Amino acid sequence: MMDRYTFLQKVGIYIAIAAFLTFVLLPFFEMFRVSLRPLDHLMSTPFRFWSDDFSFAAYKQMWISVPLLGRYILNSIFIATSVTTLTMIVVIPAAYAYARLQFPFKAISLAVFLGVNMFTGAVLLIPLYRVLRTLGLLNTYWAMIIPGVAFLIPTGIWLLRSYLEKIPRELEEAAYVDGASRMYTLRRVVIPLAVPGLIVVATSVFIGAYAQQFLFAIAFNNQREYQPLPAGIFEFVGYQQVTWNEMMAASLTGILPVMLIFLFLQKYLIAGLTAGAVKE
Amino acid sequence: MATLDLNNISKSFGNTRVLHDIDLAIRDKEFVVFVGPSGCGKSTLLRIIAGLEEASAGKIVIGGTDVSNAHPVDRGISMVFQSYALYPHLTVFENIAFPLRVQKLADADLRTRVGRAAEILQLTDKLDLKPGQLSGGQRQRVAIGRSIVRNPKVFLFDEPLSNLDAALRGDMRVELSQLHRSLDATMVYVTHDQVEAMTMADRIVVLNKGRIEQFGTPMELYHHPATKFVAGFIGQPNMNLLPATVKSVTSSGITAVLPGDAVVTLPVEPGTVRQGDQIEVGIRPEDLVAAKGLRATVQVMERLGGVSITYGVLPGGTRICAALPGDTPVREGDTIDLGVPVDAAHAFDQSGAVLRRRNAPQIAG
Repeated sequence: MMDRYTFLQKVGIYIAIAAFLTFVLLPFFEMFRVSLRPLDHLMSTPFRFWSDDFSFAAYKQMWISVPLLGRYILNSIFIATSVTTLTMIVVIPAAYAYARLQFPFKAISLAVFLGVNMFTGAVLLIPLYRVLRTLGLLNTYWAMIIPGVAFLIPTGIWLLRSYLEKIPRELEEAAYVDGASRMYTLRRVVIPLAVPGLIVVATSVFIGAYAQQFLFAIAFNNQREYQPLPAGIFEFVGYQQVTWNEMMAASLTGILPVMLIFLFLQKYLIAGLTAGAVKE
Repeated sequence: MATLDLNNISKSFGNTRVLHDIDLAIRDKEFVVFVGPSGCGKSTLLRIIAGLEEASAGKIVIGGTDVSNAHPVDRGISMVFQSYALYPHLTVFENIAFPLRVQKLADADLRTRVGRAAEILQLTDKLDLKPGQLSGGQRQRVAIGRSIVRNPKVFLFDEPLSNLDAALRGDMRVELSQLHRSLDATMVYVTHDQVEAMTMADRIVVLNKGRIEQFGTPMELYHHPATKFVAGFIGQPNMNLLPATVKSVTSSGITAVLPGDAVVTLPVEPGTVRQGDQIEVGIRPEDLVAAKGLRATVQVMERLGGVSITYGVLPGGTRICAALPGDTPVREGDTIDLGVPVDAAHAFDQSGAVLRRRNAPQIAG
């Protein structure tokens, strides 16, 4: 068996995991701590990790300070969901074509897709701005959705293609011999078998869409009602002071729905990431 | 009527030619087995018949219609794959019904036809299960069910039994033979296993390096192998091929000197063979008897009960195998005498072609 570890190895593994998790989760803990304390206590010295003035007041106050907060959270989810849906609609047939069909410039176009991913959105902001202005899409949801989709398609194709390649070719040949068209085979055989892979790709696209919103929102959108959470949170930055505690409370509240979805999808994610690694 | 004619089929992958001018006429309702070592082109040939692979040249005619460029469904074929190729997310019912769903058959009709197929294959109580819940033999039957439900003219099988264990394979061989009889359809079956070929086929196509070595009934191939390759491939254990020198060619046949200076006169047509030529004498292990002739040192005995397969070496190092009676009192290390029954022996010239036997037995069946 390969998964047997000695006691010392186990201790080492857990120390490494603990160090990593501390590094990743400490900011969240700090956010949570800040969100619980009154603003004027935040800057007090000496620094105290724990104090007796914790309250959830900021979680109530934030809705009053920034009345559109709920809208921002919904916008975030709406934009990320739309980006994910549109990306998947494009990525599934494209990845299938790359996995199964032979066509000219197949390898080169795949490499170009990867190359496009090397540019962050920031490098292309000005040209994108001009394109969106010409199309009259500035200050609409589309201004945040379309660039999002464009930047996420390449990764999606790369991820899904490698998953689809693991589906035995004989299954599709059998469907072909039985008279099924490519699209019918895709719909009835390939997609149902690729569900774990689709969930992995959709999740990674969703995370990407959530993360890149900020850039596109501040660059292409001035309409307050369309702003997603990362941009909307700026309203906690006032002329006199920054209400850090409410900002942190709002951030955590905004992340919560996404976190819940992840908790629910976790088992698919793990299954999907390791599926096909071993011949069953 | 579902005859299957292949006219001059050739296939190349890049510069590699894998099939050379395959010409074959398969009769209606015939069970034909393509057999040969791996890489001989048998699976490629089947895939060309199925329409999964395009022939580089040649024509495929099914039931008198040229289908060389037709879609598999229009060819009237159905295929059973080596890996079964069942859809793991669909139930047995939906797996069998898949070709009918593609055709958009009415639900009532579909149910009757799937039901009938399930009955033939004894799957009626398994229809709601997923393939993952079935045993290997049951999965194999589902795959067959999916192929018979469409009533094709020609069934194609690509090594369908190679994933089963030995006992189940024996059972499935019998079931497939019965299925062939009850469906009354033309079947083409690919295997590398000569036992499957011998037991199931009406006629066997022996392929080697992309060419047909011989096409005939099992017993024809056994008694009249056209080439050394067929002789070595058909029959279990394999035929002994002993190097020999022609001493004289007379009206009664060829007199040849075998390893260990045993001299035999074989009743065969000499063809172009002359005195002094090297030939190979083929003797099946089951034809060798304990009598004066060859002297062999026994190396390994495999006692199977009814027979004892005896492996030994002749003077000069040529290996020989004999199927002796089960209780033969021989031990490893002994020297034994093996008599060559000249009427049962085969002779091959240097090109590997057979010299026609004069006293071959009547072919049975």
